[in-house]
Amino acid sequence: MNSLSHLEKKKKIRYMVTICIFLCLIFTTFLLSMDAGLIHLSPIDVLKVLVNHGTSQQELILFDFRLPRIVISLLVGSGLAVSGAILQGITRNSLADPGILGINVGAGLVVVLFISFFSSMQVVPVFALPFAALMGAVLTATLIYILTYKKGQGLSPMRMILIGIAVASGIEAALIVLTIHLDPRQLQFVTIWLAGSIWGTNWNFVLTLLPWILILMPLAFSKARVLNILNLYEDVSKGLGMAIEKERLILLGIAVGLAGSCVAVGGNMGFVGLIGPHLARKLVGPKHQFLLPASALSGSLLLIVADTLARLIVQPSEIPTGILVSIIGAPYFLYLLAKSKA
Amino acid sequence: MDCLHTAQLNIAYVDRLIVEDLNLCVPEGKITALVGANGSGKSTILKAIARIMKPKKGSVFLDGQSIYHQPSKEVAKLLSILPQNPTAPEGLTVGELVSYGRFPYQKGFGNLTQEDKKMIHWAVDVTGMLSFYDRPIDQLSGGQRQRAWIAMALAQGTNILCLDEPTTFLDMAHQLEVLKLLKKLNKEEHRTIIMVVHDLNHASKFAHNIVAIKEGRIVSEGDPQTVLTKGVLKKVFGIEADIISDPRTGVPLCLPYELVQEHDPVNIDSRMSYI
Amino acid sequence: MQVNQHTTIHVKVRPACALIILLIGTLLLVVGLIVSIAIDTTAIKLHTIWEAIFHYKSGILQYQIVRNLRLPRALASALVGACFAIAGAIMQGMTRNPLASPGLLGVNAGAAFALAICLAFYPSLSFQYLIIFSFVGATFSSGLVYGIGSIAKGGLTPVRLALAGVAVSSLLTAFSSEISIYYHIAQDIAFWHAGGVVGANWSQIKIMLPWVTGGMIGAFILSRSITVMSLGEDIATGLGQRIMLVKLAGSIIVLVLAGTAVSVVGPVGFVGLVIPHIVRILVGVNYRWIIPCSAVCGSLLMVWADIGSRVINYPFETPVGALIAIIGVPFFLYLARKERREL
Repeated sequence: MNSLSHLEKKKKIRYMVTICIFLCLIFTTFLLSMDAGLIHLSPIDVLKVLVNHGTSQQELILFDFRLPRIVISLLVGSGLAVSGAILQGITRNSLADPGILGINVGAGLVVVLFISFFSSMQVVPVFALPFAALMGAVLTATLIYILTYKKGQGLSPMRMILIGIAVASGIEAALIVLTIHLDPRQLQFVTIWLAGSIWGTNWNFVLTLLPWILILMPLAFSKARVLNILNLYEDVSKGLGMAIEKERLILLGIAVGLAGSCVAVGGNMGFVGLIGPHLARKLVGPKHQFLLPASALSGSLLLIVADTLARLIVQPSEIPTGILVSIIGAPYFLYLLAKSKA
Repeated sequence: MDCLHTAQLNIAYVDRLIVEDLNLCVPEGKITALVGANGSGKSTILKAIARIMKPKKGSVFLDGQSIYHQPSKEVAKLLSILPQNPTAPEGLTVGELVSYGRFPYQKGFGNLTQEDKKMIHWAVDVTGMLSFYDRPIDQLSGGQRQRAWIAMALAQGTNILCLDEPTTFLDMAHQLEVLKLLKKLNKEEHRTIIMVVHDLNHASKFAHNIVAIKEGRIVSEGDPQTVLTKGVLKKVFGIEADIISDPRTGVPLCLPYELVQEHDPVNIDSRMSYI
Repeated sequence: MQVNQHTTIHVKVRPACALIILLIGTLLLVVGLIVSIAIDTTAIKLHTIWEAIFHYKSGILQYQIVRNLRLPRALASALVGACFAIAGAIMQGMTRNPLASPGLLGVNAGAAFALAICLAFYPSLSFQYLIIFSFVGATFSSGLVYGIGSIAKGGLTPVRLALAGVAVSSLLTAFSSEISIYYHIAQDIAFWHAGGVVGANWSQIKIMLPWVTGGMIGAFILSRSITVMSLGEDIATGLGQRIMLVKLAGSIIVLVLAGTAVSVVGPVGFVGLVIPHIVRILVGVNYRWIIPCSAVCGSLLMVWADIGSRVINYPFETPVGALIAIIGVPFFLYLARKERREL
């Protein structure tokens, strides 16, 4: 029996190595990111601050500005990537992600509604925006589910993608109408949000996001086995005794919860949910026991790199991170599409 | 006799009734072949028997119990199905695929138990795929791939194996490979095998029991001698055929030579209904 | 093989139906044009309209309004609607893909991108150049989408087309967003995005006209080839069709029509999706009828949608794009649900 699991051992080792590499890269970028910006905080400075020997200004920058933002990048990146991996598993299509299914713009729509509602008031309760976004994501996902579900046929993966794209178009049209009625300041804000920027940059937002990630992520990991089987031909999964509709629904819920909460804090960040799992799949293979954790890490890495670049390229202002992710992500996506088999 | 049998099975596809009031009894420990023309409903019947498709009315009983009223996972321990043209994700190896066959028995995080590993090993061995254990399925030949899928169905440890057109897209050698494997499984392991096949002569040579289906109804049922007759062939397939005796085994083989009735040439305009 | 008694052979070519549509459609179109001119923030009497068109006397305000504002607006709607509809019909015929439409192809995103560049870097550019720019942008993006979708093994399936369209649109939109944020032109772009013929004037129409006419004539000429293409590429080749040539010509026409229309009116994608479908159901599968009928119905839709956009929230204007999306998206959803093909 041992010789049979030789390949399996190899795969496991490869997986471990990949995880370690990811962690190292993330850590390195973390240090670089701390350093990036108008005021430089070299790793030595970081260390000094951590042991309470830094200046109060350094402490402020580290703890109140950079650290929360980096933590959020990590969390959002991992959440979106895992969400994408789940959706790709459910739809059996490696080109699905929460953005394409319109979940992100759905969140955006509710955010815009929220903001335009408060146009009369000067103060927009910013802290409530994440909840608006989350609500939007859930509503959109519910809509897509209802529309895709056909009695007797259940949830067809292909149909879900097309309907997701349709719903996304509809929501975008609605968004366009709404954005006209905003004043320039609101419009600027909305445009930036829609482009995807880690605008939630203090610890409150971290706390808002954390419970979602802490609960949903392990839940997703525990469903790895189910995802493996769902990825097979549908009749085979049924033949193996899986309650397909129920499992799909649960997994969809997890994916939407992750995507919604991440978008709520990180804005309309497309492509992370697509590229993260793809990269992971190329490195560790399609088994979800490996794929999900690897996706989480690759998503985090992608986002933290993009975010750092976004802050560096056009100093002192910044490009919304989402735009950078799109610029990196879309060409790669198109390349994958061109290379993909039907 | 404990057998798998259907009772007044009515199966509809969307709104079209395909199978009406089907009462079929599948003998235990034998190979049964479902045959019929394209669109006769044979695959649909197999899917309903394997509870992949829910019937509109009626039920399927196994050991006296309706399989629709049992949890799907429990049924998966009694009955396994290999659907038509199964596809596997890229890069999946034979070993991994066969391990999925243990899904009905797994709990929690799903680590493979000793029992699981034993079954997997046995399944891969009995299908002759041991040397391909670590090979990705998409790199295998048609026959090898089919054997890998059969190994997965075997790993489920069921007494009944359902196969939907297991040989349709294989060349002659691979067809023989698969059929001989099924015969071996039946003979040595006493598995009940139900398969949908297109080639009547395969059915005759390898099956104990043939069920000929036309438009969702059983036209003829029984051993090859009973079913492979001129009359049945005419009725079910619309062909005139000579029946000869196989030189090696004596089972009837059919040699079609003429169509029963004239049919309209396919009008090219019929393609315009792509809407 | 026995032929099922119930096999229906759908030969849906109904010239009579097509003629009826053309006649009634044109009639409704003319009515629509007149209504469009008559109704607006200030209603103008029919008699006045007649006089303004045929017995024009400069100096009378109402005549001027009719001539210089409303007539071009109405005509622009009609032309643009026809362009989108024909482009959509050609696309659906050539790709044999009922979900194909200029919007899905990324035409809009490309034009928007070009527009963003224009507004940011050359804000004083005249409309002439704007049209060309946006046309080039549209060509670029749809070329990308089409190209990538076709390269992949298995060719252009509905899902692949949609996904490629989404990817290219996202990329270009990302660029456009950044430009609009950086150069603070978000509002201008938003207006264009809403889609509408609000500012249409004669010079725009004059610039549009040669392109549009050329495109339409090209479409009519190509219609028979497209019918053959829609039977399937293998059959078309077997019938002696030069597939590559037809595809190239068709693509150019689609780009000319859609690109021009988008530059005038903004992204009103769903017209190209919805109209050809409805027309096909009514008129059959012969593109010699489908194309003219689509043109008429497309114009009809745009003209009446434009009227609607002015009437619904009187006296404010609702963006036409949203109105058409309200019709289009449910229809698209219906199509996606109905699509039984293994995509």
